[in-house]
Amino acid sequence: MQASYTILDHPADLGIEARGATLAEAFQNAARALTSIILDVSTVEPREPREIIVTAADVEQLLVKWLSEILYLYDGGKFVGKEFVVTALTTRSLHATIHGENFSKSKHRTQLDVKAVTYHQLEVHEDKSGVVVRVYLDI
Amino acid sequence: MLKKVDQYRYLIPTSYKQGMRIEGLIYADDDLIQQIDKDQTKEQVANVATLPGLVGRSLAMPDAHQGYGFCIGGVAAADLDEGVVSAGGVGFDINCGVRLLAAPFELKEVREKLKQLLDQLFRDIPCGTGKKGLLDITKTELDDVLRDGAQWAVHRGYGTETDIARIEEYGKISNADASLVSSRAKDRGHHQLGTLGSGNHFLEIQTVTDVFEPEIAKQFGLHKDQIVVLIHSGSRGLGHQVCTDYLDIMQDGMKKYGISVVDRQLACVPIRSTEGQRYLKAMAAAANFAFANRQMMTHWIREGFQRVLGNGKLTIVYDVCHNIAKTEEHELDGSRKQVLVHRKGATRAFPKGHVALPEELRGVGQPVLIPGSMGTCSYVLVGTAQAMKETFGSSCHGAGRAKSRTQAKKETTADQLLQEMKEKGIIVRGETRSGLTEEKPDAYKDVSRVVEVMHGAGLAQKVARLVPLAVMKG
Repeated sequence: MQASYTILDHPADLGIEARGATLAEAFQNAARALTSIILDVSTVEPREPREIIVTAADVEQLLVKWLSEILYLYDGGKFVGKEFVVTALTTRSLHATIHGENFSKSKHRTQLDVKAVTYHQLEVHEDKSGVVVRVYLDI
Repeated sequence: MLKKVDQYRYLIPTSYKQGMRIEGLIYADDDLIQQIDKDQTKEQVANVATLPGLVGRSLAMPDAHQGYGFCIGGVAAADLDEGVVSAGGVGFDINCGVRLLAAPFELKEVREKLKQLLDQLFRDIPCGTGKKGLLDITKTELDDVLRDGAQWAVHRGYGTETDIARIEEYGKISNADASLVSSRAKDRGHHQLGTLGSGNHFLEIQTVTDVFEPEIAKQFGLHKDQIVVLIHSGSRGLGHQVCTDYLDIMQDGMKKYGISVVDRQLACVPIRSTEGQRYLKAMAAAANFAFANRQMMTHWIREGFQRVLGNGKLTIVYDVCHNIAKTEEHELDGSRKQVLVHRKGATRAFPKGHVALPEELRGVGQPVLIPGSMGTCSYVLVGTAQAMKETFGSSCHGAGRAKSRTQAKKETTADQLLQEMKEKGIIVRGETRSGLTEEKPDAYKDVSRVVEVMHGAGLAQKVARLVPLAVMKG
């Protein structure tokens, strides 16, 4: 799997553009991109799994809810992910296993507070090389 | 196209974009309008104007810049019966706001101890991402915080009764309902009460360099060379999650009520709907959390001053919300009317005589606090009757970003920035180095210019100018 995401510029905030050969891969890469904004991922180890289930009305909302779930795990549950494996995916539901560990102030190097995942200029589309997802974050 | 009305006003006619139901109006001078025109602000002001049931105009202040859905620096008011409430129109950081404290010291009395003071505050007030507050409260107590806001903190001994009158809404929005705040939001906020946060949030020790209106400044409790402390912080993870939760509810709600929007972040539902009412009550709870948050920090600042300088009797000049939706009475087409005013990166600016102001401020008007960027300056203004006529009693909220975070980081290293601040005589303590450079002074517009537009347009009057001495960034 190719590591494929770009952090997008925005006048005040940041965005994520993630790619993948499949929708699942693109979603996984978007999760990695989000985590890389919050902290230095090289300080995180995949020590324990967390199962995630998300449902939504459409695929774009599914993307927002998937990333919001990862943000909640960190900010509300004090759990940081390293590896994100989408195990089942339709346009309206997602099952995933996140391998990571409990957040430790002394171990993990934090970078930016991501407040939330927005619906602004939200996009999920296919092109010749696969699936591209784009989402903006409130910093 | 934009139509220049006068030196400070640019109109967006309804013909600008299909679906606009009301006009847009941007407050700016010749220079600021060019900056505003570079990003999507104008489009976003026009997009807001397409929402159902808005009254007056869709407004943008001179510090406006592109946001998501609404622009930052936007004001829009909705008819209570016909209009909508938008969670995105308030934003994720519900009641992100500013509080100014006046210290019983002059610059010459604290200069030698500034570093010690900043270090003390940096130790006492948690900042940066992932930080826990010093206060351990139970889930039941959190519900009390959501109901009573800053009043909860004061009644617990973190402040004095006199603090309450100096906070917008007396530090407590009364229709808050903690049961409508999800357990997820409570999980995120539970340990964050009394924390500054990161991003553009900061705490600055400043001094008053200029007083433009001595009588009003005196009423506010300010004088030249005085030491003041400015806090910029919000409702932390709790408010962010409340917005996230209700954005989802509103996505579904739009289908139910047959509303379509041009950008999904503008998601909205009728104010009178169950979803709308539930959002407003949850939003009020999150706003109360933010009031309590700034109150807790005020308490620790007072303790810090007491420890380092031997006197911790700082008084609150005022505390204002930047991101909020409030039911207020305004005059429209010659009659008084209750409307829901969305302020997204805008400050309430009520004039003298307004009933919402405490007695001690009713004779002068509401203090409007305008923080500038790190290393420049901030302003204290006072609300005017003109703002009531034109902007639903609203003013700008800061300098407004001019450069993106990535561009700011590319241009300057943290060491360069710290050196630049040192040369200006400003001490800086920051939790992360990248966080610092993203907030460098020229990443923002010129706050003095922004304030001149407000002053010149008559929406708020300049009272005092403050410059930073010591800065703490999350």
